[in-house]
Amino acid sequence: MRDKLRKWREENFRNSEQIVDVGEELINEHASKLGDDIWIIYEQVMIAALDCSRDDLAWSCLQELKRQFPDSHRVKRLAGMRLEALERYEDANKLYDSILQDDPTNTAARKRKISILRAQGKSSEAIRELNEYLEQFVGDQEAWHELSELYINEHDYAKAAFCLEELMMTNPHNHLYCEQYGEVKYTQGGLENLELARKYFAQALKLNNRNMRALFGLYMMAGRGKKENKCSVKAVEEMLESMQITMS
Amino acid sequence: MHEDDSGVTKKRTLQLPSMSVPLSSHEMGEVELSCLAYAKMYLHASQFPRCSVNGLLLSSSAAGGAVCITDCVPLLHTHLSLAPITQLALTQVDVWCSQTQQRIVGYYQANACASDSSPTPCALKIAEKIFEQCNNAVLLMIDGEKMFPGCRVPPIVMYERKDARWALKDKHTIMLRQWEETCSIVNQLFSSGDQALLVDFDSHLDDITKDWTNQKLNAKIMELVSPANGNV
Repeated sequence: MRDKLRKWREENFRNSEQIVDVGEELINEHASKLGDDIWIIYEQVMIAALDCSRDDLAWSCLQELKRQFPDSHRVKRLAGMRLEALERYEDANKLYDSILQDDPTNTAARKRKISILRAQGKSSEAIRELNEYLEQFVGDQEAWHELSELYINEHDYAKAAFCLEELMMTNPHNHLYCEQYGEVKYTQGGLENLELARKYFAQALKLNNRNMRALFGLYMMAGRGKKENKCSVKAVEEMLESMQITMS
Repeated sequence: MHEDDSGVTKKRTLQLPSMSVPLSSHEMGEVELSCLAYAKMYLHASQFPRCSVNGLLLSSSAAGGAVCITDCVPLLHTHLSLAPITQLALTQVDVWCSQTQQRIVGYYQANACASDSSPTPCALKIAEKIFEQCNNAVLLMIDGEKMFPGCRVPPIVMYERKDARWALKDKHTIMLRQWEETCSIVNQLFSSGDQALLVDFDSHLDDITKDWTNQKLNAKIMELVSPANGNV
């Protein structure tokens, strides 16, 4: 069970119901055998519990962590997340502000504040804060991706494309970013953008030939009459044949 | 006797109780939502509580008269406002509909932010496209705040095209037959774990062997629908 939790932790899965099931049993019945691992498990289970509206479980995990690490910023942030889950955004913000007063470089607290703006539907403020954050912490991939999502929701495709470009520069082998970039360019429309879309769908397929979105993207570009696109159709058809896809 | 603002007393006119005549189900402007369509929409929104989700509403009955939404196809839970996959899905559903004698009659969406159930620009755009082909198309927004167990009101807000804009539909023209039974069917799907069977178009793209027409889930739901209902 510990191994399952560790795997989910390392791969950042958000399967909160499963984590709560496994974690609660582990904590209630096998706490003594966990050693120092128990603290990180309390943290993982607490966050999952908040996701499943299990405030009882979240509260008890938080209490254990508070007892063990009384002045920790990391635990304070968890307390803030619990307040967020209860929609007590003012109180949560005060908590995060107090963390930032002590430690202005605490990225976790800043990101939580931006998440609060998002939860409240204040997209333009969230975008502004996230931009300011990224000026200081240029390498934060998670933040760039979050920003691209925010821009896509606001239909600001040019800026979303910029964020994805940043991500592709630092992660040239990530087929998902290429494919998303293709989708954004396709949505923007216009000859140049469609050409770029086609190139990036093709690149995504080169990196991972099972990326169906890129495959379909390329296929859809193919109906546009140009000579290069006829080659795309052939390439797509050959790929589909080689994958021999059948519906279940 | 009561006084109005001008100080003149008016006689209150006696109102005769009107005989309530049940509306015939083929009255124009009426929309009927089947258990199958409702259940799958609800399951779709529940499967992705942190995302906005959308899908298409289908009808297997002929055009004209009331709109009977008999089924739905859950589409996306990511990047609803990006064009390529939406276009792809619309095309594929269109083809499937023509093969199965169904028509696309509407669009549904559930926003990630449960407290905001107003249609997004993307929802309006897609609904417009559907309206071009179907002149009594409906736009259905799922109200996240009403999606809790024991809620006595369907978590649905419906819009129809009136005077070149999408206006709220009169609640009395929306029919959900056997509402309690529908709720209980949804609960049964959750307790049996069958809600996990739901496949949307996005999931199909992640694993192409998954069936976005949800034949298996449809069969399970139809089993649960009581035979006495007839055409639900």
